[in-house]
Amino acid sequence: MAGDFNSLLLRRLGRRDFMRYAAVLGGAGVLAACKKAETTPTGPVGTGVQRPPIEDEPGILQVFDWDAYGDGQAGYGDEALWKAYAKAFPGLEPEFTKFKDDDSGYAKVAQGDRYDIVHPCGYRWGDWVGLDVLQPWDTSLIASFADLNPTLTAPGQFDGKQYFITTDWGFAAPMYRSDLVEPEEDSWALLWDERYADRISWWDSLNMLVVAAYFSGIPDPWAMTDEELDQMKGFLISKIGLVRTLWPIDPSEDFINEDVWITYAWPSHWVNAAIWNGLEDTVYMEPKEGRTSWYCGFALFADTENYYHAHEYVNAWASAGAAEWLLNNYGYGHTNTAVDLDKVDPGIVSTFALDDPSVLEEPRSHVERPIARRDVYNDVWEEVKAAAV
Amino acid sequence: MAGAAAEPLTARAPKAWPATLGLLSGPVLWMALFFLVPIAIVAAYSVGVLSLFPTDLGFNLSDWEKFLVGESVYMSLFWKSVRMSLTVSVVVVLLAYPVGYFLALVAGKRRYVLLLLIIAPFLTSYLLRVFAWKVILGDQGILNSFLVTVGLRSLDDPLHWLLYSQFTVILVLIYVWVPFVALPIFVVLESLDRSVLEAATDLGASRWGAFWRVTFPLSLRGIGAAFVFVFIPTIGEFVTPSLVGGPGGFMFGNAIAGQFTQGLDWQKGSVLSMFLLFAVLLLILVLGRFVQLRNVRVA
Repeated sequence: MAGDFNSLLLRRLGRRDFMRYAAVLGGAGVLAACKKAETTPTGPVGTGVQRPPIEDEPGILQVFDWDAYGDGQAGYGDEALWKAYAKAFPGLEPEFTKFKDDDSGYAKVAQGDRYDIVHPCGYRWGDWVGLDVLQPWDTSLIASFADLNPTLTAPGQFDGKQYFITTDWGFAAPMYRSDLVEPEEDSWALLWDERYADRISWWDSLNMLVVAAYFSGIPDPWAMTDEELDQMKGFLISKIGLVRTLWPIDPSEDFINEDVWITYAWPSHWVNAAIWNGLEDTVYMEPKEGRTSWYCGFALFADTENYYHAHEYVNAWASAGAAEWLLNNYGYGHTNTAVDLDKVDPGIVSTFALDDPSVLEEPRSHVERPIARRDVYNDVWEEVKAAAV
Repeated sequence: MAGAAAEPLTARAPKAWPATLGLLSGPVLWMALFFLVPIAIVAAYSVGVLSLFPTDLGFNLSDWEKFLVGESVYMSLFWKSVRMSLTVSVVVVLLAYPVGYFLALVAGKRRYVLLLLIIAPFLTSYLLRVFAWKVILGDQGILNSFLVTVGLRSLDDPLHWLLYSQFTVILVLIYVWVPFVALPIFVVLESLDRSVLEAATDLGASRWGAFWRVTFPLSLRGIGAAFVFVFIPTIGEFVTPSLVGGPGGFMFGNAIAGQFTQGLDWQKGSVLSMFLLFAVLLLILVLGRFVQLRNVRVA
């Protein structure tokens, strides 16, 4: 064996042998380069971040989201929101953990819970970034991103990076049964109309202070002074006796059962009552003081092991197909501008004026914004509830 | 050997202690890890030593001061919860006593079967049992529909206060706790020396006299235990009030839950929790003195 090797090294190479050996070496080099390319970092250009390719990721996404926003457990068919993802990755269904509201979801993550993706709403996005548990998205990996409304995706940027992919938006407004209720005018005042004592439902949220402030003409309800908060606290305490329920998640059951006739509501509650339950006399008011509106979007956890799967999931959620489902089933707006409104229920389009861009502008709508002293607002709201007799 | 005195207990103690220690170590460790340590953590949150967010203040007693000394709406809420829990506890004991009495002294051989039937609802989901009351008490629920059918109410004028009120919370809590509370009363009554009851009758006491002067005093320990069994959990109740209480049924437990989940003010929530714990401990000490728990023997 050694002798053969020596003889190989020592003998002169003819042209044919040289070409043969060069081809072998060249082929080996190509194979090595291909393998190297497979494991080469494929993170965003310029970041130098090392990430395994998508097929090496664990694949089962941990999604922290609102109820019925993809988990499918309520039977609404909301798995359709990530239909394209399910088609591309059969057998890799995400696992959902639900939060009751933004505050409780934020608290869980603040104390250490971690997931791959979370879906909070815009008023707390700054706080989420401040937790230092998120990383920015690579929008080049989200094909649908180009179709998203830039006005609504802009708030998702922090330090020039896209930390949140805004996907859904909606309103908050009074909703009532026109066959049972006759408002004196289109106003938030309906939520404390003494004629309908014990037929009213409020949202269990400090947002009641904000809408009371809009009703009362406070200049900036999102940044009230202590005196203004005290004034609103006194006002709501004087009115809470008219309220039958404070809904934490959904007023629909009580509204449909006619235990309440008037409620603070989101568009999905109107769809539930008017379309799914045939209560055609359900009105979603546009109060003279203006509705409030909200927007929510997806964030990516910094320690996720499913980086590329997460992008694919959000891409599915941000698609025109998901937009169509969201509009038709929840009446929520979607930031994808490519959605064909002709495929959306005309009743939904007209009730929420989805074909009118000014519906989201002041003064018709007041976009929810961060409240700097949110803890103070919360304290005041808890005191309003505690004072109810 | 016959007639020899038994070896005194103290002489046996040194040999028994390793086994005793071994047997006790599990429960003690469990209590320490899952009871004492969490309480210590909550206490630390209440004075700012621990905080949810790094920006929160350090050690401070500001929330304790505001709650105890300042004009805090939560103190009024605490007394409201005490009133509601007292009402529930008293009514539950009054309703559960006849059940326990019947099972222990009347039912005879069938008492354990009947006991199983009484506690059978515990086999179902708590939430399901609470939601069932919404079906019964709602404006279009079973009760209001019956009242409309018999002409006592009109369709436009149902009894609103049946659902989403203090009354609803009290009613549902009574329903939930009666079967559970019948148990300690049943245990105490079953362990009564029947010869004492026979002696009372033989000496000429009427049935009511025998009950009031013999049976009832001997069952006071069970009544005290039953009262405490209901009062302690109901004073911190928050699930039932949030499901069927409406704003009027809001209790102290709801305020605590709200601070932790919505308000994210864990220091304030911990202050309210620790205060509730101290209040309940004080109550146990007082009631323990009253029912002389030290004299209770294990059956």
